[in-house]
Amino acid sequence: MKENLLDSIRSTVFKQSDSLDGICTTIEGYDFNKGVDYHEVLKSMVSTGFQASNLGDAIQLVNEMLDWRLSDENLTEECSEEESDPTYRKSVKCKVFLGFTSNLISSGVRDIIRYLVQHRMVDVVVTTAGGVEEDLVKCLAPTYKGEFSLPGAALRAKGLNRIGNLLVPNDNYCKFEDWIIPIFDQMFDEQTSMNTLWTPSKVISRLGKEINDESSYLYWAHKNDIPVFCPGLTDGSLGDMLYFHSFKKEPGLVIDIVQDIRAMNGEAVHAGLRKTGMVILGGGLPKHHICNANMMRNGADYAIFINTAQEFDGSDSGARPDEAVSWGKIRGSAKTVKVHCDATIAFPLLVAETFAAKAKRSVDDTS
Amino acid sequence: MSDEEHHFESKADAGASKTFPQQAGTIRKNGYIVIKGRPCKVVEVSTSKTGKHGHAKCHFVAIDIFNGKKLEDIVPSSHNCDVPHVNRTDYQLIDISEDGFVSLLTDNGNTKDDLRLPTDENLLTQIKDGFAEGKDLVVSVMSAMGEEQICALKDIGPK
Repeated sequence: MKENLLDSIRSTVFKQSDSLDGICTTIEGYDFNKGVDYHEVLKSMVSTGFQASNLGDAIQLVNEMLDWRLSDENLTEECSEEESDPTYRKSVKCKVFLGFTSNLISSGVRDIIRYLVQHRMVDVVVTTAGGVEEDLVKCLAPTYKGEFSLPGAALRAKGLNRIGNLLVPNDNYCKFEDWIIPIFDQMFDEQTSMNTLWTPSKVISRLGKEINDESSYLYWAHKNDIPVFCPGLTDGSLGDMLYFHSFKKEPGLVIDIVQDIRAMNGEAVHAGLRKTGMVILGGGLPKHHICNANMMRNGADYAIFINTAQEFDGSDSGARPDEAVSWGKIRGSAKTVKVHCDATIAFPLLVAETFAAKAKRSVDDTS
Repeated sequence: MSDEEHHFESKADAGASKTFPQQAGTIRKNGYIVIKGRPCKVVEVSTSKTGKHGHAKCHFVAIDIFNGKKLEDIVPSSHNCDVPHVNRTDYQLIDISEDGFVSLLTDNGNTKDDLRLPTDENLLTQIKDGFAEGKDLVVSVMSAMGEEQICALKDIGPK
């Protein structure tokens, strides 16, 4: 009797399992006995588990997105003669939408983004107002490293504004005001004399032109004709400047968001035979704006989200890519990854193994 | 002769002293300020300290002293604003003409006939009725930036 009981317990605890060999990756971390090889460390993330694996998967997916060519797809009946030409098809790449929240521009990730825009590695950029002004302000005066724990009242008394563990002196914004108001004056004159109808993306392009500083991603976006969309342009220091300027030159600049939504959705709709990919850092407006535009073409083909938001509260920021699939913002056939990580850690590592690695390779190849 | 010369000079203003500059941060409620070229009386001032919006700013809400319109302006507090010279002078009312002009007695016995009746209905009725009744009336004339208007009325006759 005891024998039967023991056998039954044994068979419960040591339940026969299916074999995963050859089906799933085995978990193995990096072996530092091989030395400190950063590329290999990053490669090992895929098999390290948890968010390291998600980052590893994101790296693989971004590389797949960047490697895709129209020539990888079969010819369809509707293809014109030009579209069927193999050389042409080999030249058609995925259209990349890059979105990020403004805190990332306050951080050093701004310089990573500048690199991408400088080298035309992305096609469309979407951000919030701070994502525009913080880049411009940094050209006029720097942001400093502080601490999360610095007391607010003491900082206010010293004229220091805290963004997480970063500090931006009030003086920086005074410099920004002194720089931007004359530009708004010129833009207002163009509005009245030349009937220029400003939109957020046109305003941003003009500011990128005026800042004329190679450390600014907006400068490169203007130079490379990469549109930067920001429907919430007034929600930041830029909005404050527009507010004050409207008293100076009544009734102020007119900025049309309808023309911009035509342009933004048009970027997705008229992508044509190109596949589209979304690389989105953080949540909020940039995340949804890009996903929504891609809904207009029945969904993006690649989606890489890097953010720390969770889905339990039903927020769009925390929503996983699969939720977007239910809306048609991402295709059912698409490949997606969400990396639950602060983008200041994940994004530089991702770019190192994808965009930058490919650029280096192509330079090495041609040299 | 010299009296008249003096008189002539002060009337000719030459536009030099219609306004004077004053730092925005020092202009208070019930003071005067020029907004969009109009002389106004300040009814509200609020200051926002230096911050994300740039330099410290003063937000003025003011009423045009001649047409009662509400005007607003926001100025950096360190900037200079124009403040109008506002003068009030009392004149005795001599006559009202058919085309709406008044005839006033000045200090030195001359008449001033270039002023219209005020547009404010209350004041207008008071003047017309008071004059028709033969009362002795003194009007206060407010002048600023080349514009003049009757702003108040006093009955100085015997009770």
